[in-house]
Amino acid sequence: MSSEILIKQGLDLPMEGAPGDSIREVRPQSTISVFPSEYSKLKFKLQVSEGDTVSRGGALAIRKDLPDFALRSPVAGIIKSIVLGERRSLQEIVIEPNGSEDSERFDVYTVEGLLGLSRDEVLNGLIRSGLLALIRQRPFNRIADPSLKPKSIFVNGMKSAPFRPDPAVLVRGKEAELQAGLNALTRLSDGPVHLNLAKDQAPGPLTSAKNVQSNYFEGPHPAGNTSTHIHHLDPILPGDTVWTLRISDVLRIGEFLLNGVYPQEQITMLAGSGVKEEMRGYVRSISGTPLSEIFDGALEEGEQRIIRGDALSGEAVTLESGLFLYDQGFVVLNEDRERELLGWYAPTTEIYSAHKVVPSNWIKDKLFKFTTSSRGSHRALVLTGIYDKYVPLNIMVDPLSRACIAKDAEEAIALGILETEPEDFALCTFVCPSKTDFGAMVAETLEQIEQEGF
Amino acid sequence: MPNLKETIEEKHDAVREDFEKGGKFEKLYPLFEAQDTFFLTPPDVSEGKTHVRDAVDLKRVMFTVVIALLPCLIWGIFNAGSQYYAYSGIETNAVAKMFRGMLIVMPIVMTSYIVGGLWEVGFAIVRKHEINEGFLVTGLLFPLTLPPTISLWQVAIGISFGVVVGKEVFGGTGFNILNPALTARAYLFFAHAKDMTGDVWAKAKDGATGATPLGMGAAMGGQGEDVVQGLAHEGFTFGSMLFGLEPGSIGETSLIACALGAAILIVSGVGSWRIMAGGLAGLFAAGMLMNIMPTQGSDELGKMVQLTTWTQIPFQYHLVMGSFAFGIVFMATDPVSAAQTNTGKWIYGALIGVVTVLVRVTNPGFPEGVMLAILFMNVMAPMIDHYVVKAHIRKRTETLRNFSYAKG
Repeated sequence: MSSEILIKQGLDLPMEGAPGDSIREVRPQSTISVFPSEYSKLKFKLQVSEGDTVSRGGALAIRKDLPDFALRSPVAGIIKSIVLGERRSLQEIVIEPNGSEDSERFDVYTVEGLLGLSRDEVLNGLIRSGLLALIRQRPFNRIADPSLKPKSIFVNGMKSAPFRPDPAVLVRGKEAELQAGLNALTRLSDGPVHLNLAKDQAPGPLTSAKNVQSNYFEGPHPAGNTSTHIHHLDPILPGDTVWTLRISDVLRIGEFLLNGVYPQEQITMLAGSGVKEEMRGYVRSISGTPLSEIFDGALEEGEQRIIRGDALSGEAVTLESGLFLYDQGFVVLNEDRERELLGWYAPTTEIYSAHKVVPSNWIKDKLFKFTTSSRGSHRALVLTGIYDKYVPLNIMVDPLSRACIAKDAEEAIALGILETEPEDFALCTFVCPSKTDFGAMVAETLEQIEQEGF
Repeated sequence: MPNLKETIEEKHDAVREDFEKGGKFEKLYPLFEAQDTFFLTPPDVSEGKTHVRDAVDLKRVMFTVVIALLPCLIWGIFNAGSQYYAYSGIETNAVAKMFRGMLIVMPIVMTSYIVGGLWEVGFAIVRKHEINEGFLVTGLLFPLTLPPTISLWQVAIGISFGVVVGKEVFGGTGFNILNPALTARAYLFFAHAKDMTGDVWAKAKDGATGATPLGMGAAMGGQGEDVVQGLAHEGFTFGSMLFGLEPGSIGETSLIACALGAAILIVSGVGSWRIMAGGLAGLFAAGMLMNIMPTQGSDELGKMVQLTTWTQIPFQYHLVMGSFAFGIVFMATDPVSAAQTNTGKWIYGALIGVVTVLVRVTNPGFPEGVMLAILFMNVMAPMIDHYVVKAHIRKRTETLRNFSYAKG
């Protein structure tokens, strides 16, 4: 069974700096790190100390609330240092690879064999390996709780935001891993596993995947956002749970189950006008590689902002960080503090606008160099009714934002906030003339609801 | 001007410290910020998770409204000059009319901007927030709703009332319930009624009535005359009122100028076409309903009597007479005081049209109803939104429930 869904609301930003589709290798030069800080809401108990030797897949720390869940080392080596943050929270475990082939062994399965497993068998493997962290749960987009059974599972095989990695590049030559991962997912829920693809997805491993319900979405961003998929296929009702993954997560899980060793390879996209043109593309490296090595020689001159995730809903990071387990791409943009004379009314054709009042909006098929400039100062929220055009969900953005400002969680839930994620409102933030951060408002209210319960 | 930008940037940076926290003019920071960001875009970079932002900011939005008002302003100036000479009985050319019009209108606009601007700056300093660009619009909208013969001191207290009571007591831009420019006008309308309505040019020349078509029509209708013929006799045809070379408030007489402004607002997406379309629909529907009212009726003794013929004014005349076009295009679309939901905007606009006709035709006290209609609907807008949102939530819940039933 498959369905085709046309998305009308949204906007594709004509952004310069799209990634090419070549993959280059970056071997770690010195150390690699595991970042417990990546999981801000989880607490860990350290299992190693400085100077210890670990094998590939060796447990570094275990979750306090789920001791079977271990953070594992992607390489064999020696613990070089352990970085603690505020209140002795575990931030980073630095490992110096020692070149040993030592590896922890896990159960090995065949692609077809996975279909015969029970839910608990699959879950145990994912929990023990720590790869359960790749499965997210909605509402609230947290790491999946294995004690809950999702009504359905959503795999996102799209890339509509500027920029996210092309799933077709990620699955190249990995048909078996993809199918193995999907087969494992079918064991986790009684409902279907939805594989959501772009309507124009070229035939390949993605379109020929089996045992899933393939759905095809057509339209502008956020046609590729998971909320959009859930809303149109199996909306979240109060009390519902769904699990969500990305193609890179499915591949990682598939690789782990087929080989029985902890996967270390990670493919990351580098894109944006702040990355040199010839370096825009994909990097094959090992989880935890320092970003300074990933970006070695890749950045353009001048002050650049490195964004973990995409330009609309990512996190600014520095080169001191490393490759998180959940990373699949970075966008680099020029940090733009340039001031322009009478720029607030100059009829510019160089700076993109979604509003017809700026001539740049009238030019079709032109790519613009986007920067981090805020393009104006923050003001009271004045315009109304323009935001619904950018949210393809049955959500009224103006009343929802007012409920968020008023901290009225009950009203926000009635208006459908539990179906959304902050990233769904990124385009509203982009177009807002008053420079209001809708995503932050929604994030804060979701946080409030999660803490208070509903 | 290769170095103008750098010169301005240098000059501003040189004194920036004095205005920032701890500087000697710290209190005047809003003034500095306003000038600084007027000349140069702010050096700010995006915060939060959305790293790129649209080229449009509130300054550009508000300035677009000012540009949309220009046709009305320019026509208003010309019309004021024309009326001045017409009632003075002097024949002259268009340039002289334009010049005379400037002498009449510009002091009114300047007074509005200067006095209103002072209040705006004062509140920004006391409240420590930026000066809001919305004032660019309010400061021009208000004078365009006034008769050209208004005294400058009345303009000054009018705009003061509008800014302070219409906006700042509610907490400033974005929080006001009523449209500030219209609040200012309403204040003058009730406090200085004789200078606001009716025979506006009478003082220019003895014997001239200077009545607006709307005032005249209402008077004729009350006496049971044929209003269209009566108006035509006075020189007001549908076509002439379309152009608007006639007595009336400065900016509102020409439907064509208002339509130009509407086009700019709709194409740029700054003004809501839903409110404007809803308003037209409401006005025409109510106008037609009035047309089918009987003009004769029987009194309590069964004798046939003549009723007002004012109801019989063709519905399209409601659009060209009075300030409806100006009001629905520029006043009703103020996003802060209008309904905020898209469905709500249709209802809000339509009811403004209906109430305008009701006040005009059935209320013998006020010839014009659009100002009261918009203010009334400003007050009602939150309630319209409340019910639209309630209906949305109900439908939403139903859709979700059906979704789960359909899946079994």
